[in-house]
Amino acid sequence: MTLNTRIFLAGAVVALGIAGAAMAHTPLCACYDNGDGTILCEGGFSDGASAAGVRLAVIDGDGNVLVEAKMDENSEFTFARPAGVFSVLFDAGEGHEITIPADEIY
Amino acid sequence: MKPLLFSAALAALAAAPACAHFQLIYNPEPNLERPGDVPLRLIFWHPMENGHAMDMGKPLELFYVFKGEKIDIGETLAPITFTGAQNGAAAFEAALPVKRNGDYIVGLVPAPYYEESEDIYIQQITKVFFNKGGIPSGWNEPLGLPTEIVPLNKPTNVIAGSTFSGRLLSQGAPVAGAEIEIEYIAAEPDMETNAVGEATVGPVPGGAIVAITDENGVFTFGIPRAGHWGFAALGAGPATEHEGKELSQDAVIWIKAYDLD
Repeated sequence: MTLNTRIFLAGAVVALGIAGAAMAHTPLCACYDNGDGTILCEGGFSDGASAAGVRLAVIDGDGNVLVEAKMDENSEFTFARPAGVFSVLFDAGEGHEITIPADEIY
Repeated sequence: MKPLLFSAALAALAAAPACAHFQLIYNPEPNLERPGDVPLRLIFWHPMENGHAMDMGKPLELFYVFKGEKIDIGETLAPITFTGAQNGAAAFEAALPVKRNGDYIVGLVPAPYYEESEDIYIQQITKVFFNKGGIPSGWNEPLGLPTEIVPLNKPTNVIAGSTFSGRLLSQGAPVAGAEIEIEYIAAEPDMETNAVGEATVGPVPGGAIVAITDENGVFTFGIPRAGHWGFAALGAGPATEHEGKELSQDAVIWIKAYDLD
């Protein structure tokens, strides 16, 4: 086994470990209109785990990605409210995606 | 004492244990999905027997704790009259402002209530739990109250047929061998009318439902039915006297159970 293969395998094991942990809990996300033209989204998991680093995307009515970001260390992300129809995708991996339409942002 | 009076006194004593006083902080739904003000009703009552309601004085303190931060909501208090099945009594409404996801633990320190039949004061320091968005953020943390019950099961979604455990603390230390009285809200208050609804259960024979805390201050009770269950540790708090009379400083906690449909 070459060193590179070993590193790859080690990486795969770590990735599987993380994915396994994520399977055991439910992703949760809520967004709030701050009233100043910005929207705050906060994510998390039902077991209290952090959502830091989880991908967040703001998508317009035609499916175009307007904003793409990762949740910060507080599992939050703030962005400028887009004009028109949009939704927020909280993407914690396959089977762990949440879409929040604009009319569910209070 | 004349025999008749003696009999009456005995009857009153015998009746007393079944009449458990319970301080409520009530809203029908602890699991919240959207931001907003959650209306609360503070009622001092005998909820299991749908019985007599007591007049509350203005609470000394009403607050909530969110992610370790304590926020006073005493200024949202307003007097109301709660109409029980037997009588009307002074009660209060208040509002819990909810925005972010997580656990909102509401704490109430009521004014001591003078119980004439026992010639003592009763002060039931009460906790109730709300959660927004399904994210847990500290429901199992003590609030640092003089006495309190800390839940060992998530108190906002206990399943009927499972169990609920709590740990009784007095000044932060577990209390062993303490008696925990257990009650069910037999008739839920109506948030619109501040009147009691229809009773869904009848009285239980044999007086109060009781569990005793173990050496770690922990008790467990099987939850047989969906609805609101209250647990009260009588006289668990450090204060024992108020205005020259005995004070029973109690810890009360409320949980909500659901049917697993």
